[in-house]
Amino acid sequence: MSLALSTLLYEWRRYMAAVMALALSGLLVLAMTGVFIGIGKGFTATIERSGADIMIMQPGATSLIGGPSGVPRRFIPLAYRHPEVVEVKPLDGAGGSFQSIRGYDPTMSQAERAKTKAPRREFVQTVIIDTTPGSVTIPRDYSQELVDALRQPYTVAVDETALTKLGVKLGDRALYNGRTVTVVGVTRGYPNMMQSTIVMSRDTLRMVGQSDEGSRVGPLMIKISDPARAQVVAAQLTAMGDGQWKAWTRQELADANAGAMFEEGILVIIIGGCVVLGTIIGVAITWQTLRGAIMANIKEFASLRALGVGMGSLRRIVMELSFWVGLVGVAAAIGLTMLVQWFALSNAVIISLPPILLIVVGGGLIIIAMLSGLLSMGVLKNSQPADLLR
Amino acid sequence: MNATKTHGKHGDFAIEAKGLVKRFKSGKAFIEVLKNVDFDARHGDLTMVMGPSGSGKSTLIAALSGLLRPEEGKVSALDVDNLWKMSSGKIDKFRLDHCGFIFQGFNLFPALSALQQVEIVLKFQGLSKSDARKQAMITLKEVGLGHRLHQRPSILSGGEKQRVAIARALAKNPQILFADEPTSALDGENGQIVIQLLRRAATQHGAAVICVTHDPRLEAWADRVIKIEDGIIISDERRVPDPNAALAHH
Repeated sequence: MSLALSTLLYEWRRYMAAVMALALSGLLVLAMTGVFIGIGKGFTATIERSGADIMIMQPGATSLIGGPSGVPRRFIPLAYRHPEVVEVKPLDGAGGSFQSIRGYDPTMSQAERAKTKAPRREFVQTVIIDTTPGSVTIPRDYSQELVDALRQPYTVAVDETALTKLGVKLGDRALYNGRTVTVVGVTRGYPNMMQSTIVMSRDTLRMVGQSDEGSRVGPLMIKISDPARAQVVAAQLTAMGDGQWKAWTRQELADANAGAMFEEGILVIIIGGCVVLGTIIGVAITWQTLRGAIMANIKEFASLRALGVGMGSLRRIVMELSFWVGLVGVAAAIGLTMLVQWFALSNAVIISLPPILLIVVGGGLIIIAMLSGLLSMGVLKNSQPADLLR
Repeated sequence: MNATKTHGKHGDFAIEAKGLVKRFKSGKAFIEVLKNVDFDARHGDLTMVMGPSGSGKSTLIAALSGLLRPEEGKVSALDVDNLWKMSSGKIDKFRLDHCGFIFQGFNLFPALSALQQVEIVLKFQGLSKSDARKQAMITLKEVGLGHRLHQRPSILSGGEKQRVAIARALAKNPQILFADEPTSALDGENGQIVIQLLRRAATQHGAAVICVTHDPRLEAWADRVIKIEDGIIISDERRVPDPNAALAHH
């Protein structure tokens, strides 16, 4: 084991401040970015976990969120021309008001209701599934019971994290856009901190008057016979579209959706601010900690100098030490963030940590540590062996 | 036991300095710490440099070993004609290849075991991992620490720490060994072990051992005693060392 690593392990308390500074800088950036990606995921979870291997959108679309994504209805039969396509369903959805009526007279005015502390009227996002068995629009983790329950008219499912906010529980009735619906299912793992989501069948959506009936429909969700060939088939479908549409694999779309959040200027400012702040704090604390740690061993370094070990070798020891501090910092940052992620999830907040984010932030932390190492190198010039002779 | 090689011929000059002058600035005035000092040391000799504090003895070995540049004078060591004409990188390399250092403080890395303390220097010298380990073990056994190879400084006694420091200096087979007050942080018994190790480095390995001290009891082991006062060598005597001298009070 090298001197740098042995020192870090043996005198870990001395380096704790630097490791914690790096971990907290990392946490700041990871958690903020993760929350924003998570917000996006909250809106698209049902689609991203559906059985759709491929989605067809307009050629100019950059993601599901925002941008022109709907297509003409006639594309549905066109997509079926590909021999591997098994099922094509347009994505549909809506939004509406949701009012719990558990124990309250639905004819009360909002003001009266507020006085009795009844659940407020909430605006919800409505996503749909087709209840035909094995349909492409059904998320893969939905149980058969849930799909069967949603097949009944005027039924909805709510995520467990939205129950309190909406003021309902399983079996309750509520008003959706003024029509009575029954909560027949509770999902798990579909939190959305920005807006509660309810799930209903395409038929129920039609019965409440919100389905796409015209010549245009939402993006097409496509199931193919061999999901492993999604990339190939998507490329072929795009070619078949001849510029009228573009086919995305599910993964491509999920990545694009995560990235789409960052086209919002304000998010870039917030995250950019976190990065700058995290870098400054990280460098400052790590630099000072490393400086102190080197000073604490300066006599030992000086004795190595006396024995003829050159300044370059000592610098390399410091850089190696910084690297290890950075690496431990990255591990601590990821550990802390996962802890926070777990806490957040129990409160319906998704912190999404795609591997690329971990790699970028982890790399950044190591750069911060190495930068701090470079800055603290100056104290090595205090390792004057002649000083040991007095 | 004697697996380390010997250097030079006993009696050959290992280091020779002429006209060393070193001044330090003190306020507005300069203090001359070394006043035109001539010095030499031979292979196989334990040369003792003695003097009261502030006499310039530490400055002398700093100038001899390439640690502190003198204002004037020339240092020839081994096959190098003028040490101070070389670049600082070359001087480092010269020390790495040929010089050992022992200080009053032990200056051991708290995180490293005795074996690692010795190994690390050997690795910087370019030895392979296994060679460094082998050589470090031999040297530590030679200084009587065969049973303490894997202990860290925190649980070693002062004497043991100094022996690790000596092993670190001896492992690379230095032709010149500098020791600065090597016994003054130690009790009599450990001091005796340390001075005997230095004696052996000179006798058995043929190193030129230059030991700075103000402890007159160490004279007994020396081949040569040089006394320095106020930057001037005031006496230079050869004597017959007594390898069985006792430092400890029993």
